[in-house]
Amino acid sequence: MEAVTFLFGRRRNLPARTLRTAIFAALSIFICLEQCAAQDDAQAVEHQVKAAFLYKFAGYVKWPDSADARPDAPFTIGVIGADAIAAELVEAVAGRKLEDRNIAVKRLKAGEPLAGIQILFVGRSEAARLNQLLQAAQPRSILVVTESEGALAQGSVINFVMADRRVRFEISLDSAEKSRLKLSSRLLAVAQQVRTGTP
Amino acid sequence: MKKQMRAIAGVLLALASSPGYAEDAKAKELADLSLEELGNIEVTSVSRRPERLSDAAASIFVITGEDIRRSGATSLPEALRLAPNLQVARVDAKTYAITARGFNNAIGNKLLVVIDGRTVYSPLFSGVFWDQQDVMLEDVERIEVVSGPGAAQWGANAVNGVINVITRHAGDTQGALATITSGNTEGDRALRYGGKLGEDGAYRVYGKFADRNRTALASGAPVFDGWSTTQAGFRADWAHAGDSFTVQGDANKGSSDQTALGVPNFSGANLLARWSRKYDDGSDLRLQAYLDHADRDDLVQFRDRMQTFDIDAQYGMVIGDHKLLLGGGNRVAHDRTIRSLLVDFIPGSRSLRWTNLFVQDEVKLNQHLQFTAGAKLESNVYTGWEFLPTARLAWKPDDRQLVWTAFSRAVRAPARLDTDFFFPGSPVLAGNLKFLINGGPGFESEISNVIELGYRAQPTSSSSYSVTLFRNMYDKLRSGQPPPAVIQNMIDGNATGLEMWGSYQVTQDWRLTGGITTLTQRLQVEPGSRDPTGPSALGNDPDYQWMLRSLWNVSARVEFDVMVRRVAALPNPVVPAYNAVDARLGWRVNRETDISLIVRNGFDPSHPEFAAAPGRSEIPRSAMLRLTWKQ
Repeated sequence: MEAVTFLFGRRRNLPARTLRTAIFAALSIFICLEQCAAQDDAQAVEHQVKAAFLYKFAGYVKWPDSADARPDAPFTIGVIGADAIAAELVEAVAGRKLEDRNIAVKRLKAGEPLAGIQILFVGRSEAARLNQLLQAAQPRSILVVTESEGALAQGSVINFVMADRRVRFEISLDSAEKSRLKLSSRLLAVAQQVRTGTP
Repeated sequence: MKKQMRAIAGVLLALASSPGYAEDAKAKELADLSLEELGNIEVTSVSRRPERLSDAAASIFVITGEDIRRSGATSLPEALRLAPNLQVARVDAKTYAITARGFNNAIGNKLLVVIDGRTVYSPLFSGVFWDQQDVMLEDVERIEVVSGPGAAQWGANAVNGVINVITRHAGDTQGALATITSGNTEGDRALRYGGKLGEDGAYRVYGKFADRNRTALASGAPVFDGWSTTQAGFRADWAHAGDSFTVQGDANKGSSDQTALGVPNFSGANLLARWSRKYDDGSDLRLQAYLDHADRDDLVQFRDRMQTFDIDAQYGMVIGDHKLLLGGGNRVAHDRTIRSLLVDFIPGSRSLRWTNLFVQDEVKLNQHLQFTAGAKLESNVYTGWEFLPTARLAWKPDDRQLVWTAFSRAVRAPARLDTDFFFPGSPVLAGNLKFLINGGPGFESEISNVIELGYRAQPTSSSSYSVTLFRNMYDKLRSGQPPPAVIQNMIDGNATGLEMWGSYQVTQDWRLTGGITTLTQRLQVEPGSRDPTGPSALGNDPDYQWMLRSLWNVSARVEFDVMVRRVAALPNPVVPAYNAVDARLGWRVNRETDISLIVRNGFDPSHPEFAAAPGRSEIPRSAMLRLTWKQ
C-alpha cells in the first residue's frame, strides 16, 4: 500500500472523481467521456461470442452416421428462446460451409419438431422446458447447448458460463455419450470444466 | 456534472455512430477465431473488435493476423511497421533496422524477439539478422509488441522492447493454402497444408520461397543486395484433457547477390517442443526446450555458426489474491566464427551460457488496484549474475480505463561483438598496430533504469486509445576510443518520449487507426573517455514518427486499405524525413480465392530510410499482385 500512497496521495482524503480529474490533467492529452450504454454493448458482444462458439462447436463434434442420413441437406443449428443470438448466428454463418455442407439457422418455437437439426441452442428463457427438449433431442443425436446454471445436470452437453467477464463453456461427457456424440479432445481442452460420471 | 458529461457523451456518440451499431457487430469475424481466442474475449469490454482492454501495466500493441493480411505485408519486418511503438527502417533489400524507443541500428541490440517461444536474437551481437527470420505470415495469430523494458520476465536484452510472434494452433490452420505474390521489387510463393493427427492432434506443414530484387543508390548504380530464401517447417499440436503438447520446427536456406567477394549465404534450422498442463486447482506448468542452428557466411561481414540449446520451465498458481509465476531456464550456445574481410572475433570459438530464475507476483490490492512485482536473476559468461527487477501498478477506475505506472531495471548483457570484436579482420597495418579495434575485455553490461506512466481507455464503444510516457536513464553504454581502441562502457544519458495510438470505428465498415511516437535523447560521453564518435555510433533515431491507417470494407467482397506514415529526419548520418503511402485493394473472388493489389510508397519513386549518402540504398516504389487460395 505504500506504493499507492506514494503515487496517488492518501486516497481516503481524495474523492475518486477529483483523483481521476487530476490524473487526466496530468496527462492532458485526451478528454475522456463517461460511461454510456456500456451494458447494451456488452450484451451484444456476449451474443456474438456465443453465436461464434455455436458455429465453431460443429467442427469439433462427430455425429453418428445415422444422424447424418441426408448429407445433401444443410447442417442446421436450431435456436430456441434466444432471438438475438439467432440473429448473430445468421450473420456469423453467412457464406460459410461445413465440410461442403451449407449451414442453416432455424429459429424454433416451443413444441416444434426437431427433425433435421444437428445443434440445438436453448436460450435462458426456454430453460424451464429443457427436460422436455432433451427427451426429444437425445435420441436424435442433437448436440444440445445451453446457457443456464445447472443445465449440465439436466442433460445438456455443453453449457455456457460466464467466468471472469468472458464466455466459457462446460461439458458433460455423459450427456454427449447418451446422445452418441464424440467430442474432440481439443474441445475438451478448451472447456472450463469437463464433467464425467452420472450427474 | 457527471450527468452533463454523460449527456454530452450521449450526443457525441449518437453523432458518431449509426443506430443499432453495436448490435450488428462482427459475428462474422468472430467465427474466424479459434476456440481459445473466443474464450478470451472480454464481453464486458465494449470494443466492437474482438479485442479487450488489456490489463497489462505495459505499453503493449498487438498486431493481429487480420491486421497483417490487410496490410499486404510480405515479410516479418514489413508487418512490424503496423506497430506504432516500433521504429522500422529498411536499410536495403534484405537488411532492416528495427527498434523501440531509440538506438536504431542495423546491428541494434536492445530489442528481444521471440517466435513461438524461441529467442531469435543472435548472441553474436545481441540483435536480429532480419533476413534470416521468416514465418508464414498467413499462419501468424498475433504479434505482441511491448515497448519498454521486459527484462524481469524475458531477461537481459529486453531493454527497450519485446516482439513476441505467436503462430496459430495447428488445429486452426487446417486445409490447404497457396499464395503467390509477384511484383516489380519482390515475389514469393508459399504452400501450407494442415490435417488431423488422430482424434487429439493436428498438424500443418508449409514451404515458402521469397525473392527480393536488388536496390539502387540515388545515383542509379546497383546495390548487390538482392536476396532469396527458401524455408519449410511444420507444427503439430496435441491436446488431451489438461495436457497440451506442441512440436514445431523450421529450416531455411538463402543467399544474396554475387559480388566480387563471393555470395553471402545463410541457413538455419530449429526444433522446439513444449508441454503444458493445467491442474484442477487453477495452476499450470509449462516446459519447453529447443535446438537452434544458425549459419551465416558473408566474406565481408560475419562468418558465424551458432548452435543453441535452451530449456525453460514455468509454473503459475493462484493463492488468494496473488497470482504467482515462477520459472527458470538454461541456454547454452556454441559459437564458431571465421575471420572475414572486416571482422575478426578472438577467440574464434566460444561457448556461452545463460541461466535464469524468475518470480513474479501479481496481487489484487482491491477491486481497482493491481500491483505486480517481479524479478529475474540471469547469469551470463561475461558479467555473471544480473538482477532485473520491475514493479508495476495498475489502477482500473472502471472497465473502460486503466492507468498504470512501472519502474524497471534492465540490462543489455555483453555480446561477442562487444568483447571479442577485432577490426579490421585482415590486418594490413604495420608494426605493433595490428588492429584498429581490439575487442572489449573489460566490457560490462549496459544499464537502463526506466520509469513509465501510461493510460488506456475505451471512451466510447467505437474508440480506444493508449498513451505512454517514458523516461529511460542509461548508464555504461558502449563507447569507443581512437585507434588502437578497446570497446568501453563510457556513454550515459537519458531518453524521454511519448507513445500514443488509437483506433476509431467510424462506421460499421470503416475503421481508422493511428499512432505517434516521439523521442528526445540526451546522451553524452563520460568524462575520461576519448571516444571520437560519441553517441551517434549507438543509433540514429527520428524525433518523431506517425502513422495513420484506414481500413474500409467497400462491399462484402472488396476491401480498400491505406496506410500513411511519416518518419522525421534522422540526425547522424542525415536521412531526410519521408512520407510513405501504402495501399491495398483486396477482392474476395469467392470463398476460396482472394486477389489483392498492393502498392508501397505510392506517391514516391524512391527514398532512403537509413544509413549515409551516397552509399545507401533507395527504397523504391513497389507494386504487387497477390493471389491467395485456400480450402
